[in-house]
Amino acid sequence: MSDLDKHIEQLRACRPIPEAQVREVCYKARELLIEEGNVVGVDAPVTICGDIHGQFHDLMELFRVGGDVPDTNYLFMGDFVDRGFYSLESFLLLLCLKVRYPDRITLIRGNHESRQITTVYGFYDECLRKYGSANVWRYCCEVFDYLALGALVSGAATDLEPTDSSFAAEPSQTQNSMSEDQAEWEIEVLNSTGQVMNRYPRVRTQNEFSQLSNPPSSPGQSPSRSGPPGSGASSSAKGSSGNSGGAVLCVHGGLSPLIDSIDKIRLLDRKQEVPHEGAMCDLLWSDPDEIDGWGLSPRGAGFLFGADIVKCFNHKNDLSLICRAHQLVMEGFKEMFDSSIVTVWSAPNYCYRCGNVAAILELGEDGSNAGYSARGNGDANRSQGVLQPKDQERALGPGRRYRVFEAAPQDSRGMPAKKPVADYFL
Amino acid sequence: MSSLLRSSFDAPPPPRPKPQPISESDESSSDSSAASVDTVRPNEHEQVAGPSHWTNYFDQELWLDKDLADGATARYHAYITPPTNPAKDPLFVCHHGAGSSGLSFAIFAKELRALLPNAGVLSLDARGHGSSILNATRQEASPDYSLETLTTDALNILQSTQAHFTWPQLPPLVFIGHSLGGAVVTNLTTVHGKLLAPTLIGYAVLDVVEGSALEALAHMKSYLAQRPSLFDSLSSAIDWHTRTRTLRSATSAEVSVPSLLTQTPSGRFAWRTDLNSTAPWWEAWFAGMSARFLGGRGAKLLVLAGTDRLDKELMIGQMQGKFQLEVIPEAGHFVQEDVPARLASLAVEFYRRNDRSQLVLPPKVSDMIAKGMKV
Repeated sequence: MSDLDKHIEQLRACRPIPEAQVREVCYKARELLIEEGNVVGVDAPVTICGDIHGQFHDLMELFRVGGDVPDTNYLFMGDFVDRGFYSLESFLLLLCLKVRYPDRITLIRGNHESRQITTVYGFYDECLRKYGSANVWRYCCEVFDYLALGALVSGAATDLEPTDSSFAAEPSQTQNSMSEDQAEWEIEVLNSTGQVMNRYPRVRTQNEFSQLSNPPSSPGQSPSRSGPPGSGASSSAKGSSGNSGGAVLCVHGGLSPLIDSIDKIRLLDRKQEVPHEGAMCDLLWSDPDEIDGWGLSPRGAGFLFGADIVKCFNHKNDLSLICRAHQLVMEGFKEMFDSSIVTVWSAPNYCYRCGNVAAILELGEDGSNAGYSARGNGDANRSQGVLQPKDQERALGPGRRYRVFEAAPQDSRGMPAKKPVADYFL
Repeated sequence: MSSLLRSSFDAPPPPRPKPQPISESDESSSDSSAASVDTVRPNEHEQVAGPSHWTNYFDQELWLDKDLADGATARYHAYITPPTNPAKDPLFVCHHGAGSSGLSFAIFAKELRALLPNAGVLSLDARGHGSSILNATRQEASPDYSLETLTTDALNILQSTQAHFTWPQLPPLVFIGHSLGGAVVTNLTTVHGKLLAPTLIGYAVLDVVEGSALEALAHMKSYLAQRPSLFDSLSSAIDWHTRTRTLRSATSAEVSVPSLLTQTPSGRFAWRTDLNSTAPWWEAWFAGMSARFLGGRGAKLLVLAGTDRLDKELMIGQMQGKFQLEVIPEAGHFVQEDVPARLASLAVEFYRRNDRSQLVLPPKVSDMIAKGMKV
């Protein structure tokens, strides 16, 4: 067994590896990451994951639900550290897996992969507590600077190969309205034991689309619009009206007014601390919102961006979907703007108290040739703009299988004592 | 008479330019319903102000008389440096926490104006704190420290200030509340959101979170019992604040601590505000604050000292991007006194970012199409 395999085994047991070995792994990781572009190319099939935040036991649950590395090809969209009690073990495990299986796991940067943020939200303190010095934190921060800013998934199948497993509960009427044989499934939602919670057929017109009901988790929700992003109001899964044939862009936060093409992301100098403003900051900090155009982000960094911005960007860059993390979604995932963007959140019961479930997104491989083939980035026939969509451009987004899971039973050993209560609070 | 009222009628501690003295028979003079205003400007001939005197940090102090609904009268006290141009320069309205005073924001005010020279700062004394006086006409009236009353006081002070300076409308407003003050400004911007909306930019809450505040309240009584109740001198009180790390900046303690105390007939110094008498309201001050904070109009900034103590509601809100959170590990509870320069730069940044008059956002797609641009 190689040293690296031993490290992985030890970290899987939630035991940190010695400082010298951390240094070595970080060095190797940097050598690997420096070769990656700002936007990493990833081939489907791939399982896309959102924020982890040091919730090691939930990361283990994620691997149990989604399959192990290297059997499953993973893409993690950042925020590995901070807030949870095991940032160190979680990040080092992912990093060791990256070094061991570089083509089977992709890590991109989140806003928490930053010196400034980690000194305040826990990772720095955790390193200090577990090693007695800040060296390991420093090695990790150097790795952060080399993480890619985004990933571009290509070759995803447009239709789902439905899973054989049974429905977890009696399916709703909408799902029964289409007979199983004719169905071209676009979206499937599974629970952590692989049972089907919901399944949605491909919808081709706006009319059909509007008939689609939301998952039972959000009763009373208007089907045509979802609630404000991150409101936890719904994890609406609706038919896609994105552009036909296109890749999936994965980024931690969202879009930037300074970035109108993926090539502009490729031109950024990413090997630095996350800046307070500018394109790189926006990619890691922005959020989609039910607005027209751009808005101020209440977070104090990045922007809010509306449906028009997403649809325009997707059209221009030949994308069928933007996949991002960054915002807590109580139901684990949330599709917005006619399924042109989705938020995936992978930290169940966030911070051990928020009571949310988590999700991962599986994109299948296009093996049957029934799906699309990627098109070039040419501008042909695009002059009419996206706001007057043509019927023939009606879309085939990738088939999406969400696996929703809950928090792993907590092992209270190793948890630091509760934070001291403030002594003065008037 | 409660000790609170008793202390209210003591003369303010030196060195302080003398306000119009208030006697207990002063009720007849306050029968006009409109707020009357006295402005005291520092007088060079009166006395030489030391480096810790408020005149180093604010332009003026205001005494604002107001008849209250329950028949009582209030003589509010506040420090102010008005904005250069109230039509466009912002006014930062600061509300201190329980047991503190408007001078808690003195050094912060100076730091803020060093960064934003045209900005105004209004730092008020809450009732029973600093030099604000509640003059109950009915002797049996007990002091009312309910959140609603404190909120009304803050609004009264703001409106009386506007009347005093004859501003046609309120300047662009940024509220900053520390601890209890955070609960007050949050409530103010929620309850009176419509009234303030035309010029409200946002509000900042300093080191208070509903969940952890309610948790800490259980320990407050024993904390208060452990505090010395009398100091031999002002300098020993200042020394106590810095020695116990209640305040971590000696400079700030010298400015703010004298305003927390009042001289007893024996010549010693006692707390001006009887915090124990406010205990019945403690829980109600903070209950429901997280929901109000998230639901209010305007931009939201939460500044926490030491470590992040978010409760569940704010944790979810923060992770959904609903407000700006800043944690200052090196600060103690009195953030504005411990790290005034850092807080000032955060406040200025917060103002600049959210100032809608200067906001230029990239164009909407529909506007670009309307202009015939290719998108």
